[in-house]
Amino acid sequence: MKMKLTRENIIRWAPALVLLGLVVLFAAINPAFLSQRNLARIALASTPPMMVALGVTFIIVMGSIDLSMEGAVSLCAVLFCLMFLKLGGSLGAGAWLAIPAILLCGAFFGWLTGMVHVRLQIPSFMASLAMGFVGTGAAVLVTGGDIVRIDDDVFRALLTWRILGFPLMVHIAALLVLLAWFIQNHTTLGRNFYAVGGGEELAHASGVNVHRVRLAGFALAGVFYAVAAIFQVARLGQAESVTGANLMFVAITSVVVGGVALWGGIGGVLNAVVGVLIVNVIGNGMVVIGLPNYLQDGLLGVLVIVAVVLSTDRRLVSFAK
Amino acid sequence: MSTFIKDYIDREVITRRKLLLAGAAGMATLAVPAVFGRGQARAALTDPAIAWSYRDRASAYWNAVVSGGEAFVESIGRSKSDMVNLISEGSSEKSLSDIKAFLSKTGGNCAIACDPNDSPNARPIVEAVQAAGGYISTIWNKTDDLHPWDFGDNYVSHMTWSDEQPSEQTARILFEAMGGKGGVVHLGGIAANNPAVERLAGLQNALKDFPDIELLDAQPADWDTTKAAELMSSFLTRYGDRITGVHCAADNIAYGVIEALRAEGITDMPIVAYDGNPEAVKLVMDGQLLATVFTNPYWGGGISAALAYHAAIGTFKPSEEPHEHREFYGPTVLITQKDAAEFKAQYLDATPEYDWTDFWGPSNGQIQYR
Repeated sequence: MKMKLTRENIIRWAPALVLLGLVVLFAAINPAFLSQRNLARIALASTPPMMVALGVTFIIVMGSIDLSMEGAVSLCAVLFCLMFLKLGGSLGAGAWLAIPAILLCGAFFGWLTGMVHVRLQIPSFMASLAMGFVGTGAAVLVTGGDIVRIDDDVFRALLTWRILGFPLMVHIAALLVLLAWFIQNHTTLGRNFYAVGGGEELAHASGVNVHRVRLAGFALAGVFYAVAAIFQVARLGQAESVTGANLMFVAITSVVVGGVALWGGIGGVLNAVVGVLIVNVIGNGMVVIGLPNYLQDGLLGVLVIVAVVLSTDRRLVSFAK
Repeated sequence: MSTFIKDYIDREVITRRKLLLAGAAGMATLAVPAVFGRGQARAALTDPAIAWSYRDRASAYWNAVVSGGEAFVESIGRSKSDMVNLISEGSSEKSLSDIKAFLSKTGGNCAIACDPNDSPNARPIVEAVQAAGGYISTIWNKTDDLHPWDFGDNYVSHMTWSDEQPSEQTARILFEAMGGKGGVVHLGGIAANNPAVERLAGLQNALKDFPDIELLDAQPADWDTTKAAELMSSFLTRYGDRITGVHCAADNIAYGVIEALRAEGITDMPIVAYDGNPEAVKLVMDGQLLATVFTNPYWGGGISAALAYHAAIGTFKPSEEPHEHREFYGPTVLITQKDAAEFKAQYLDATPEYDWTDFWGPSNGQIQYR
């Protein structure tokens, strides 16, 4: 099938073209940018925000927003470390149980956010922001402000064991991207996200249980936040009440830059993946080409605006809010 | 949706009105004791109430400060709960209004230790305390033109920490471990933060004596472990093997650096840090860090409360003390691989017993302004 150079096709591929353009730009200034080791560094830095972005993509596709990720990741990371240490402190000695346990915790936390949103009829923006604060507060409460460290070499193999030059957790993240893509395209739940995002009343009239879809969406996002927490611990060897800090900005920016529309129904998992890579390529590239640090924040902002302009079809929107 | 917004606005308008009324009432109650209190030369107070005003207790640093304050309160035979916690949550306005409320509640019969949260906030706080006849010691934040000796006895003391000298010492330890040559990168705090500026300045001072060491790059990592890990790996791409040493502005940054290097299989890079957190001390003992610096927040918290309290009950008269007893630097303890185990035993495994009437023993000289 020959692909036509239509407006739709350009917009669909725009995020990927932006990513390609950035890579070419940075590589032209400093060829070391394209070295395999640097690509591995970018991939590694992208791994935790990638998981958060996948989770929040489902919510944004539904036309809602989830801002609870920082609290959710911090709480999951702290609980994961504490459970891991309680269960023997080594993956071989039964501490692996902490992994399924924390995934359940994440699902529960997300479900709770969904309940606050759906049952108490609070807009998802406010409900999730508040739940994020609850998560951070709970993380402070269980740690008392201290750092919890994990020194298990087997668990840290996620970071230190390399296959084809990339750390193990990058490969696992790639598998999880496939899983998210499968959920989005080949399950009823995934299709229902789009139905709700495209038009809630229409979806309701067609027999979709909108409340249940929303709850499932938030719980699913929670599971991905828990995975992000595990990766974050694997990468840093520690958890504290600020482990999730900055993830909100990175994840939301990435998703939007990747071409997922904040008004719902448009874009998906693959957009989020490209978006996370764009944001991390910018972050890494600015240091690698030696841009003075006082210009970096400003340039990041400009590049984000350019990326959004290029990668979303704003002709469909009557007004921006 | 529109009714939600309308309800919300209605509710906010009401709470704003309530707030203004409450504020007006608060000012009135504050004015009353001030009218009667001014001009009364109160020599000393009996049994003053004690308060600590600080950001919040979530961080290890402030937790240590407040624990020190509580230890002092217990040392004078009161219970922990007799120390009132005024938590500013990082808001200067809340810090000031809480202190004013505490002053009017106690009628000025009080001793306060306080971090004013930002420099300009110190003046209104100190003026309010003086007007009410209370006593106050501050730490960290005040403007350079505000001095305790301009306020008679009521503004007892100000303590801060100079990070330039200790940061220079850690840099020298780092450079010697690098064999006096090679390339160093600095990962700093939030660029405009005073400690971040001083800790970088310390590194630059040390560089002058080591002409064969090149500062490859210095960028802010915002006191953040994750950001530090990402910045360090980007540095590795840009400078590669030219990096032979890493100077970190904080322990939290060093944790990220160590992990970024671990991901690359680099385990023998010389690294120095700052803050003396328990985890960092352990890393020094394990040989993963060369040095860190401890500022003894526990002592700082206890002695600030002690200074305000003892001035209030008349143990000493602040206006008769020399300037270096009213504005001084807090202690800094350099922790290296030689003394880390000893430090841990002394400060971390056991809480040292301090003599809370030895006000200036561990302090570090009069504050110098540039």
